[in-house]
Amino acid sequence: MIFVTGPMFSGKYEYLQKTLGLREEELAPRCARNVEALAAGEEDLEELAGHLAQYDFVTASEVGCGVVPTDPEQRESRERAGRLSCLLAGRADVVIRVCCGLPQVLKGDWKC
Amino acid sequence: MLTLIIGGAASGKSEFAEQLAQRLPGRRVYAATMEPCGQESLDRIQKHRCQREGKGFLTLERYRDLGGLEVPAGANVLLECVGNLLANELYSPQGGGRAAVLGGVERLYERCAHLTIVTNEVFSGGTDYEGDTLRYLRELGGVNRSLAARAELVVEVVCGQANVLKGRLP
Repeated sequence: MIFVTGPMFSGKYEYLQKTLGLREEELAPRCARNVEALAAGEEDLEELAGHLAQYDFVTASEVGCGVVPTDPEQRESRERAGRLSCLLAGRADVVIRVCCGLPQVLKGDWKC
Repeated sequence: MLTLIIGGAASGKSEFAEQLAQRLPGRRVYAATMEPCGQESLDRIQKHRCQREGKGFLTLERYRDLGGLEVPAGANVLLECVGNLLANELYSPQGGGRAAVLGGVERLYERCAHLTIVTNEVFSGGTDYEGDTLRYLRELGGVNRSLAARAELVVEVVCGQANVLKGRLP
């Protein structure tokens, strides 16, 4: 599995599409997108990560770089989103961070 | 050379951009985009003016319509920052949004030898946004991606240190 992280609206999915030369309908079924949103509602993050790791590609936005939210629910979902990304990166063969549409490989062999 | 510098608040991106511009040839121009409204913005403008003092920049203020900015031919322009410029183009009645920012950069760059653009990393603090803020983030993300695609050099600044995302530092 290839895990792509990076800031929101940084072009993670578009990078995959472009670099793999895949059309939307080809990539969409093979890619779990914006999975940070799934972490909040999931009891077992390991199980969720295991399920997501069956996709060829997973994308998630970095969400942990702001001030700790005052709202307990937001605090919890931010925490879980970060943990999920760590679990996914651990399972991934390749981890890529995309910033402004530009990739950097954090783990594994990947030709950008 | 077209350069994009991105970094978080107080990451040292302005100083880094100033130092980079100082290493490039041509008449140094600082294109300032922050429209002063209230004491806090005046203080911030003053802080940046002091920081640039003695570095040889001619400061020109331009809040919208960057393409109309008159600079000496072959100038070495530092534009700071896209976050303000886009907000002005999005929220002022005369503004032209994302297209005006990108079109303005193209027109300005035609007349410069070097254009160094500073933009903001504000996209890693959560996704829990809505309304105008979400729209602003989406538009700024789009502007940043377009500028990065166009630029020869893209640098993310972290704690004043350069993480080169594209190209090579001169």
